Amino acid sequence: MLTSRVWYVENARAAGVLVLRKRLRKIPRLRFAGLCLILLLLTGCAATPQLAETTQQRLPERLLLDDVPFHGQRDYQCGPAALAMVLNAQGVEVSVDALIPQVFLPGREGSVQPEMLATVRRHGRIPFVIEGNLDTLLTEIAAGQPVVVMQNLSLPAWPLWHYAVAIGFDLEAEELILHSGETPQRIESFKRFDATWARSDRWAFVTLAPGKLPETINEDTAIEATTAWERLQGAEASLPAWNAIVERFPGTAMGHFALGNARHAVGDDEGAIHAFKQAVTNDPNLAVGWLNLGLLHHARGENSQAQRAIQQAADLPGKWQAHAEDALNRL
Amino acid sequence: MKAHGILAYTDITSIAPLASLERDAWHIEKPEAEPKRRMNLMMKKICRFLSPLLIAALVLGSLPVVAASQPTPGATLISTEEALSAERGQSHRERIHTILARDDVQEQLVAQGVDPAEVEARVAALSDAEAAQMADQLEELPAGASVVGALFAVFIILLVTDILGLTNVFPFTR
Repeated sequence: MLTSRVWYVENARAAGVLVLRKRLRKIPRLRFAGLCLILLLLTGCAATPQLAETTQQRLPERLLLDDVPFHGQRDYQCGPAALAMVLNAQGVEVSVDALIPQVFLPGREGSVQPEMLATVRRHGRIPFVIEGNLDTLLTEIAAGQPVVVMQNLSLPAWPLWHYAVAIGFDLEAEELILHSGETPQRIESFKRFDATWARSDRWAFVTLAPGKLPETINEDTAIEATTAWERLQGAEASLPAWNAIVERFPGTAMGHFALGNARHAVGDDEGAIHAFKQAVTNDPNLAVGWLNLGLLHHARGENSQAQRAIQQAADLPGKWQAHAEDALNRL
Repeated sequence: MKAHGILAYTDITSIAPLASLERDAWHIEKPEAEPKRRMNLMMKKICRFLSPLLIAALVLGSLPVVAASQPTPGATLISTEEALSAERGQSHRERIHTILARDDVQEQLVAQGVDPAEVEARVAALSDAEAAQMADQLEELPAGASVVGALFAVFIILLVTDILGLTNVFPFTR
């Protein structure tokens, strides 16, 4: 009787344990699967970025621009510090203290992107925003340009915006080297860097003296950057920049047009006419090119050429048609 | 005369309940309708006051454009900036807006604590597009080196994401 009771209890316990074990076995499996899923989701958006085959062949295995000076940031002033580093590397003597009142926004406790670019212009260098990918970034570094990058070191919900200067890389170790915050030559894996960089839409720029162009720049961005620079620094200072653009992109219509305007502004009207002609040769539909060519001919008293060019502009539909017709009537 | 009086009397009695209903309705409606009407009136007043000012500002604002595109007295060529904005499909009105934006940015910079002596030079160094961007969304633009919220939960989440290599907030995770 007693034994049978004991047997019963033991059996019951055993059965209970069995059920519990089964349950336990299921729960961790579920938990593990869930954890894996979360990890996959998180790391899925942050896989190590792959370089294009051609980029990898072109770049040296490792590289460090060790002549870029380091300025440690104080308080929240990584913007002025990053600017001082790239400008000093370009031979512009300017201190972080001089840059703070020019770019720092006390109300935001930081510096915003448009003003980072604007401040570079004030110091006689042209800021070129480069295409946001690792290939472009490494190519610019390999060309000897330190690159200012904007990162969000934190998550989008609690942003921690930060400017750093990329100065080197190691392809085999998949690491980027940056002057960042208070750390000179900080090493960040491509994966971690790209995850933080992607949150600023991979915003980056290089600064160059007029007459030089970034290795990877496209025609439109180069023209836009130079136009903004010319607005501040004037036509004469921007002539080398326009010359560099038409040399790099011989087929550009807008570049030749801008070169013509700059030449005209410094009194070189013959050079300007030549440039306008090149512009409309490259793109016969560039009405504004025909218009400026005609207006300049007209100012020089060459009326038959003026008539012909302005007529071309008047024949093209668009914003400048009315302007051209107006000019024709005044001839 | 008498009939008229009676008529008037009956009129009042028949209308009275309606009138009270109307009054009730008026009472219910009042809190919503009255401010609306006031707002409309105020908007009208503001518009009447602002419109001439805006017109004047637009006209004045467009003057420097005309002046700027005349670098030499010989020929009035179309400037590169104008040509580019036309290429981008910007209308004349949008162009005036971007030019007016600079004044707006100046005010905003002063409000953000920038030294007034520096403001003019800072705004002058912006391109038209950048000035417009600053005028429209200075508050939303990411500013390099803001502070992260110091909540404990946020700390833990960021610690985990740091260890996963997704963020870079705490240097000691590497």
